[in-house]
Amino acid sequence: MGLLSILRKLTSNPDKELRLLLLGLDNAGKTTILKILASEEITNITPTAGFNIKSVVTDGFKLNVWDIGGQRKIRPYWKNYFENTDVLIYVVDSADKKRLEETGIELYELLSDEKLKNVPLLVYANKQDLPDSLTAADLAEALGLPSIKDRAWQIQACTASQSKGVREGMEWICKNFKFK
Amino acid sequence: MSFSIWWIFTYYFRPLIKWFLRKTTGLCELQRICYGTVSGAPRINGVEHSLNSSRSKQIKQLVDHLNDIAENRRFTGANEREILKGAVSTVLIVKKINPKIHYQFVSAFGKCVEQIWGYKQLISEVEELRQTLFDSDDFSHERRLYDLWDSLMPDEKLESRVTRQWQIIGFQGDDPKTDFRGMGLLGLENLLYFSTEYKSSAHHVLSHSFHPTYGYCFAIVGINLTSMAWSLLRDGSAKTYFYNTSKSLPTIRLFHSFYSYLFYEFDRFWVESKPRDIMEFSNVKNKFEQKIRTLLQNPRTEFRISLSVQNV
Repeated sequence: MGLLSILRKLTSNPDKELRLLLLGLDNAGKTTILKILASEEITNITPTAGFNIKSVVTDGFKLNVWDIGGQRKIRPYWKNYFENTDVLIYVVDSADKKRLEETGIELYELLSDEKLKNVPLLVYANKQDLPDSLTAADLAEALGLPSIKDRAWQIQACTASQSKGVREGMEWICKNFKFK
Repeated sequence: MSFSIWWIFTYYFRPLIKWFLRKTTGLCELQRICYGTVSGAPRINGVEHSLNSSRSKQIKQLVDHLNDIAENRRFTGANEREILKGAVSTVLIVKKINPKIHYQFVSAFGKCVEQIWGYKQLISEVEELRQTLFDSDDFSHERRLYDLWDSLMPDEKLESRVTRQWQIIGFQGDDPKTDFRGMGLLGLENLLYFSTEYKSSAHHVLSHSFHPTYGYCFAIVGINLTSMAWSLLRDGSAKTYFYNTSKSLPTIRLFHSFYSYLFYEFDRFWVESKPRDIMEFSNVKNKFEQKIRTLLQNPRTEFRISLSVQNV
């Protein structure tokens, strides 16, 4: 352990553990984001049957990230993972306009759940590199995010496959929890 | 500490022991392996280790040369025979072996070389297929997708290219194209081979995937097993399977057979684990991989798809 990380551990709360829940439709890029966070290889990803979990230490936080499969058959199981969630991360494929409505419906179902009440929301507008992808601002508008009043929320543009923008989202999370 | 003792042992004592054995038996290490070890993985592993740890300049050059050929996939057809002949005669000269007396060594050693570098070549072939992304504009890719459907669901016609029906055989949505991801065309070819070459086994497995409790997504689980087969091949663990199964130059078909074996065995393992639901997949898959790795560690293990059909 380097001196810097020791100092950082002393100044911030070293035992702070966060439980992050990664959700979104299939092929949105959840597992890619998880692997980027864990600094793992992203060229051999397969569709998630069930879920993946990884623990990452960053910025004095221990992040336990739960990545749950996004296909329709698995969505009914999402609710089993809601309990004790500190931040909900919702991943959207910004170029998949056909399923924009579907992803919106799923998101609002999550937001209306009692167990996720007041849980901060981070939306990743993923796949910004694809032609025709919606910008983060347009996506926020399309999903109606500005009308959310009951929790802190943030939208972050990213291209997880090039590890662009993922860190920035995490910084928002860490900052949000420091002042608590 | 133990590392340096081991290093001293291999660096100074191994040649000493080899020299002693050579003087007493009149045979070099490669000959002792080829004559004294059973064929298949035990013998091929021995030859591979001996060649890789050789300090002879010519043998080192030979190994580099063969590695290069395998990586560039030039180890085929008439070329293969030439390369094998060259490799064997290099060893005969370096080790001063008379091929007229030791004709059995010539044939046994040649077979080992074929398997060792055939395996390396296969890694490169499989890797290329994995890196080929599924492309719905490519007619041959699309054709294979339809073939997969026809083979698994012979009694049901696809209503259109993009349809919910794909979910029956375990794709995630209405269009399978995004499900192959990092496994590329390899994932599709694996599924297709299992479904066509081991038709009854594949149907048996597919029927389990419809089970109300133990059901799972056939295609998605299949693509995850492609990933497992690929990593076992790449890190060398799968050598036991290939060295014990292959009679000639290993081809991509043998990799597909290895995959089919894994799929069939995984299905059985899954059902026997009595999972609560699909969310236990990662857990069960990791246990299964551990079990396979343990089996592969024993060079004498033989693998066969048992075709007996059991009902859940």
